[in-house]
Amino acid sequence: MPDRAHSRHVRRSRLIPIWALLLGAFIVAAIGSVPYYAGNDSYVLLLLGKFLCFAIFALSIDLIWGFAGILSLGQAVYFGMGAYFVALSLKINYAMEHPTRYGSKFPDFMEWNGLKELPGFMTPLISTPVAVICALIIPTLLAFIFGVITFKRQIYGVYCAVITLAEALILQEFIIEYQAYLGGFNGITDYGNFVGAPFLWLILAISVAFFILARLITHSRIGTVLKAIRDNDVRAEFMGYNVANYRIFVFCVSAFMAATAGAMYAAWVGIVSFLDAGPLLSVEGVIWTAVGGRATLIGPFLGAFLVRGLEFVLSGSWFANYWQFFMGVLFIAVVLWIPDGLVGTIANWLRRRRRGSIAQIRAEEDRIAHDQQRDWEPAGAAKSGEEVV
Amino acid sequence: MSQALISQVLIGVSVAAILAIAAIGLAVIFGVAGVINMAHGQFIMVGAYTAAVVGQLGGNTFIAIPVAFIVVAAVGLVVERGVIQFLYERPLETLLATWGVGIILEVVMKAIFGPELYYVGAPRVLDGGIRIIGRLPYPYYRLFLIGCAIAMIAATFWLIYRTNFGLKVRAVRRNRAMSGCLGIDTARIDMLIFMYGSGLAGIAGAILAPIKSVSTTMGFTYAVGSYMVLVLGGVGNLLGVPTGAFLIGQGETLIAYKYNAVIGELLVFIAIVIAIRIFPRGIFGYYERR
Amino acid sequence: MSLLEVKGLTTVVSGYTILNNLDFSVEENELRVLLGPNGAGKTTLIAMITGQFKPTSGKIYFDGQDITGKSPDAIFRAGVSRKFQVPNMYETLSVYDNVLISLRGDRKVMKNIFRGTTSEEKDRVWEILEFVDLTDRANDPADTMSHGERQWLEIAMLVASRPKLMLLDEPTTGMTEEGKYRTADLIQRIAARHTVLLVEHDMHLVRRIARRVTVMHQGHVLAEGPLAEVVNDETVKAVYLGKSGPQ
Repeated sequence: MPDRAHSRHVRRSRLIPIWALLLGAFIVAAIGSVPYYAGNDSYVLLLLGKFLCFAIFALSIDLIWGFAGILSLGQAVYFGMGAYFVALSLKINYAMEHPTRYGSKFPDFMEWNGLKELPGFMTPLISTPVAVICALIIPTLLAFIFGVITFKRQIYGVYCAVITLAEALILQEFIIEYQAYLGGFNGITDYGNFVGAPFLWLILAISVAFFILARLITHSRIGTVLKAIRDNDVRAEFMGYNVANYRIFVFCVSAFMAATAGAMYAAWVGIVSFLDAGPLLSVEGVIWTAVGGRATLIGPFLGAFLVRGLEFVLSGSWFANYWQFFMGVLFIAVVLWIPDGLVGTIANWLRRRRRGSIAQIRAEEDRIAHDQQRDWEPAGAAKSGEEVV
Repeated sequence: MSQALISQVLIGVSVAAILAIAAIGLAVIFGVAGVINMAHGQFIMVGAYTAAVVGQLGGNTFIAIPVAFIVVAAVGLVVERGVIQFLYERPLETLLATWGVGIILEVVMKAIFGPELYYVGAPRVLDGGIRIIGRLPYPYYRLFLIGCAIAMIAATFWLIYRTNFGLKVRAVRRNRAMSGCLGIDTARIDMLIFMYGSGLAGIAGAILAPIKSVSTTMGFTYAVGSYMVLVLGGVGNLLGVPTGAFLIGQGETLIAYKYNAVIGELLVFIAIVIAIRIFPRGIFGYYERR
Repeated sequence: MSLLEVKGLTTVVSGYTILNNLDFSVEENELRVLLGPNGAGKTTLIAMITGQFKPTSGKIYFDGQDITGKSPDAIFRAGVSRKFQVPNMYETLSVYDNVLISLRGDRKVMKNIFRGTTSEEKDRVWEILEFVDLTDRANDPADTMSHGERQWLEIAMLVASRPKLMLLDEPTTGMTEEGKYRTADLIQRIAARHTVLLVEHDMHLVRRIARRVTVMHQGHVLAEGPLAEVVNDETVKAVYLGKSGPQ
């Protein structure tokens, strides 16, 4: 047996490579300092906060789609629930401090719809901390229940996608129908907003925290297991992994992220409406992830900023009329031509340059095998003396 | 049983018919090719606009039906050749791509027809109704809907189970690889089935146009309803469509009668989610073993 | 008490009886070969044992426990590993990772969050990769492997899972002659320390490594015993109708 020296080297990317740390710090600093040179009240600042919330939302979609293989077309349900809890609480508090023309101290839209006072079941929301807890816990709980019901029966793929879509549509219609309690078409407005440097830094901090959390999850053993489940859930199940439990776990983490993003969004922007809880936002979130790069972590951030940013930049120009058309084409183009997204395609290109394409790898291996004249002795030559098995 | 309840049940049957009409096109495509067309609602919408145009040109629903079939089948052909044929192995990606197609269709239709609502009237011959129960007559139009639902399902049954083409379709559905080896052009079958399913969506649009006003966004709720019919009723067996449609339509109508439409949808949705624990691929689903 | 005991297993699907009141057992530390023409029910039997489907009736006992109808992951944890007929692995994961997550250990979600790899686990993975001679492919994604390498990778994954019973479903399909010999050797070495149930068609291979064989036919056991005996059994010859050719 020819002697083959090989290094026992496993190629692993480090948890946070130095270059990523530096780049990340730079970006965080750049965003964090925007209030100083753009002014505390500027529209750019508002957009930045919004985009960060959307980016976290997209990250939550990426977590389950890119790493667990579940396409949820109703992620905005969690975003919207988080947003509405916070918005209601802020609105209630605002109304108590700014009585309406008629002197009532509860939200104006409730009054317009004939309610005489704040509904009993909404009184816990007077306390904003309680509302925030509800905003984070209840969507996660809902995700858990949904996960247990569907994943334990192996309902994945298109069935799951379509059911989540219906879920989002129903929530949207629910909000519109119960406008006395939830503001209906107009949404919940006029409760002030938190636009300003401190809250921006909060959103930024939470974005970074979620990014690191996602990185930890995907980079550790559970990340490998999730990728294995995504690649071949049958094999994983027969290797002892309870696939449903893993999927439920990721689904809940993702819902928690989306709900947090929604809660911050409601406080930041000062308006929430049914659009923030329905199918349109859900599907848009999927497209941001797809454009940026599914199964990467920067991809969703990039995709959200890029698509929404492009929309903003082009909103004044002639192109604005064609924006919807462009979005439709984007959906098709990304799926057909850039399935790995921008970041994914760049990563593939880099990997190819480093290792060579599959064909190159195979050719290389063939060459090595040929050069070393591998032949196997049927007498069962042991390579080392020890019993390995 | 109170008269009001009975008349609600009868209305529920017509609601079921509406769902069945909308869903059959999607069921055929999904059952054979395994793709879900997210632009299904927009296909229905195009059918409805076709009926509007036919109406403006002096025709009525009966004329609009075949015209809509041809028009939307043509749209389906373009979509299948342009987008879907590259994505048959990737159903989730097909969802996204067809969502994009749907957006484009909406934009194009809005560009052609403008944002105003169109009104398509039901054919005159269907005016009025028949006294079944209570004081209000049961509209002939609703009976027409039920008739159309039955006709469309029967026609599809005939196509799939009584023609040579249908035989090939069933072969492809059962064992795609083997059918290909035996000389069946599976790509062509997929394309033709997609066209047929799209055409059915067009017919649905023409039939359903008089119910609500025709606008570029009218199709989405029909689409989601169709998806739910498929999830509950199952694909692979044509009985799935009327079963799913009946359960959902009747359920929503009765609950809406007691509470309101949104609660109806919500409770039916929850019921569906629970039901698929027992029938993971729908009641008549072809339960795929691993 | 045998390690694996199958009693009266019957499976009827869409009117077809695939397994017909099957009685079957495997002793601990055996290397048993399961033979039979196509359609005999060999893969179905394996599917039943590993929990892929529930039988219509009958019982399966493993290591004293009743595992009939349990979920595949529970049966794995009881000590049964299965190699599929078509190589089944995690395509985008590297060879190393494929083996790593197949190592026997706690499979619970909570135990795996933020879990790193111990040095014992690292060593064990390299040991196993050496055993199947895939060390220089350790970092390559599984989908870049040739067919034979994929079979060996899956075998490596099974070895990593340290099962009490290993079920190998035609592990040499599609391999070259040389590859088959190598696989046979691997299996023999594995069988020294594990109980192995092997489904095979290649009679040359079977003759190299088989001690005790079971022949299945139409869902039940046709003959069982040492290879030499079974091969000369009249009913077996009739069923195979000369397929295996002159001995």
